[in-house]
Amino acid sequence: MTVQPTPSAPTLPSNLLTGSIADESILVRSRGVTKRFGGLTAVNNVDFDIPRGAIVSLIGPNGAGKTTFFNMITGSYIPTSGDITFDGTPIVRMAGKKAKSLKPHEVTKLGIGRTFQNIRLFGTMSALDNVRVGANVHLTSHWWDSIIRTPGMLREEQATIDSSMELLKLVDLDTRADTWARNLPYGDQRRLEIARALATRPKLLLLDEPTAGMNSSETRALTDFIRRLRTEFGLSVLLIEHDMRVVMGISDRVTVLDHGEVIAEGSPAEVRANPRVIEAYLGRDAAEAEAEA
Amino acid sequence: MSSATKVIGTGPGAWFGFIGSTLASYPGRYRASYHRRRRRTILLTLLVVGTLIYPIVHSVLLAGFSRNVLPLPLPDDTVMTFMTIFAIMSIGLNIVAGFAGLLDLGYVAFYAIGAYVAAFLASPHFGQFGINLVFLGHVGPGAVGIHLPFWIVAIVAIIVVATFGALLGAPTLRLRGDYLAIVTLGFGEIVPLFFKNLSSLTISFALGPLLINVSNVNLTGGVQGINPIDPPFLPILDVLFDARSGPLAVYLGMFLVTIAIVVARNLDLSRMGRAWGAIREDETAAEMMGVNTVRTKLLAFALGASFAGVAGAFQASYLGATTSDFFDFSISILVLIMVILGGIGNVWGALAGAVMLVYVDKTLLPYVSQRIGDVAPTLPNPAQYNFLIYGVLLVVMMRFRPQGFLPSRQREAELSVHGLADADAQMGVVGEFDNVGVAPPGQDETGADSRSAETPDESRHL
Repeated sequence: MTVQPTPSAPTLPSNLLTGSIADESILVRSRGVTKRFGGLTAVNNVDFDIPRGAIVSLIGPNGAGKTTFFNMITGSYIPTSGDITFDGTPIVRMAGKKAKSLKPHEVTKLGIGRTFQNIRLFGTMSALDNVRVGANVHLTSHWWDSIIRTPGMLREEQATIDSSMELLKLVDLDTRADTWARNLPYGDQRRLEIARALATRPKLLLLDEPTAGMNSSETRALTDFIRRLRTEFGLSVLLIEHDMRVVMGISDRVTVLDHGEVIAEGSPAEVRANPRVIEAYLGRDAAEAEAEA
Repeated sequence: MSSATKVIGTGPGAWFGFIGSTLASYPGRYRASYHRRRRRTILLTLLVVGTLIYPIVHSVLLAGFSRNVLPLPLPDDTVMTFMTIFAIMSIGLNIVAGFAGLLDLGYVAFYAIGAYVAAFLASPHFGQFGINLVFLGHVGPGAVGIHLPFWIVAIVAIIVVATFGALLGAPTLRLRGDYLAIVTLGFGEIVPLFFKNLSSLTISFALGPLLINVSNVNLTGGVQGINPIDPPFLPILDVLFDARSGPLAVYLGMFLVTIAIVVARNLDLSRMGRAWGAIREDETAAEMMGVNTVRTKLLAFALGASFAGVAGAFQASYLGATTSDFFDFSISILVLIMVILGGIGNVWGALAGAVMLVYVDKTLLPYVSQRIGDVAPTLPNPAQYNFLIYGVLLVVMMRFRPQGFLPSRQREAELSVHGLADADAQMGVVGEFDNVGVAPPGQDETGADSRSAETPDESRHL
């Protein structure tokens, strides 16, 4: 990926970190979200907001419930209870005692795109076709248009090819458009997943450990790219990430989950200094040692 | 997407303009293909021309020669017509099993429904209830029963069968994998049984103020089935030719197969085809990317079924009779074998599989049996062991060429061992096609271009 000098992050509303945020500045609002798998409470009563235009990170030790929470925003898990609103539209709401959720494809259409922790591209489809599948959600032609190949359908297909090529260009994959996704190198696959998610024209991009398995220069390039997405496309980003340099360097706000509960929330600096966070990551002894030091 | 033509304007005018310019571009494309891959183009041309003239050559020349001079295993009109009937079905099942990756073991049900639609709408059968309707028919105006022309019957069959496909799919397509196969298997058993047993239907119930009282109605003709069914008359609305006899039926079948190929390929190359591919690769990821998986699978199911509807209607009209015995479970398996042998996921593979298997079943095995019978009458008759032979064939294929004769590149890669073998296999296949001169997967110009251009690229970075 070409590393471009990134403009500094736009200044966020000053009230962002104080907690008193006006409604329209919040893109995702979740209240009391709980998910139980049998006897295990994976996510417990989580209140969590994503401000519009912000890069928010969700961190926590393994098994803290980060991916489960992700999956509830995208509609693939139905929470046991709770409410999630995206851009004014309820994704999850309580109907009586049970939570009702939109289907994943409906959530995608609303404007949430995602990538996966372990890459899930359509391996034997070309890079271009992978992106075109993402673009499908906004196409209007019908199957009968495809059968008789109406001019409108053909124009739409051409427009989709053009816009998909532009997205491939954005992630520096336009020269590999015809290559099967599974034959691309690992880093390219990661970026192709982002391009595919962008093709769904999201307002919010969910990235599940995007830098996993990358070396430090790839990681740096990807971090710059994520910043660019926010400044150039006005995207909000929710990030699950284990690489603390990435999290601390990129996030406007960090939320820490442990055993399914929010244990800390705030700016990267605040979270880093929080003894509960250190305890969750390193254990009680280390936390005490840190406090003494 | 045909790169040679551009769409101008909107509406039907633009559509005709586009089709016209597409057709006009074919001579140029053909010349280009001839210059680029001469041997392949010549062989393909010979194959197409040979296929087109064979039915006539056979009826005026070869049939007599084979009968009087030297017996040869040549497919006759009936066999060729059945080739087209099964080709339509295997192309349709390929949409369900090949494109969308849904295992449908009850495909024969849709074939049966199509046949009975034709039997109801083009036979004297409903005369027994005093229902007489003749429309644009070659049958006299005073005829008993319903007599609609073949094309209308075919269109009704498509609609009815697609509806049944959707009805079956709606509750079952939430199932994945094996469960879907089992439910469709049941459906394929139930439907022919229904037709067999609806010969003395007695229903009596009250629907609001209406009292429905039907007693002992022979709806489907039971074991005897329904006959006679009107033959398909051509060219358009039942005038001119009786297309039941001689090569005409073959040409009608070829015409239907051509439409089936065009429809299947257009679907495969559309957004729907991409959605099917995505579901086949990773259903969860597809759903996350905004593909409405239930609706998309349902569409594959209903559209695939409608092909069997046309095949059933054509078969009933061609044979002039239909009974439930035609629609044995083994037909479902036979069509699936055609798709798998031919190359799952590829329209041309499905076509080749149907032609090959019908040829073996209806011409080659009887011929071999007869020759063996002439020489050594005590030896077992191979025609009676046809399914044993298909089974062995299938096992051998799965061992040595699991992707089928003309595989789609995607399915080939999915079925072969991961890693370096893929690139080798792909290279090998392209090479083989060059030698044999058979259409490679995705025979159309754009497809052939991108594929041949891509192969070396892929082997490079593997």
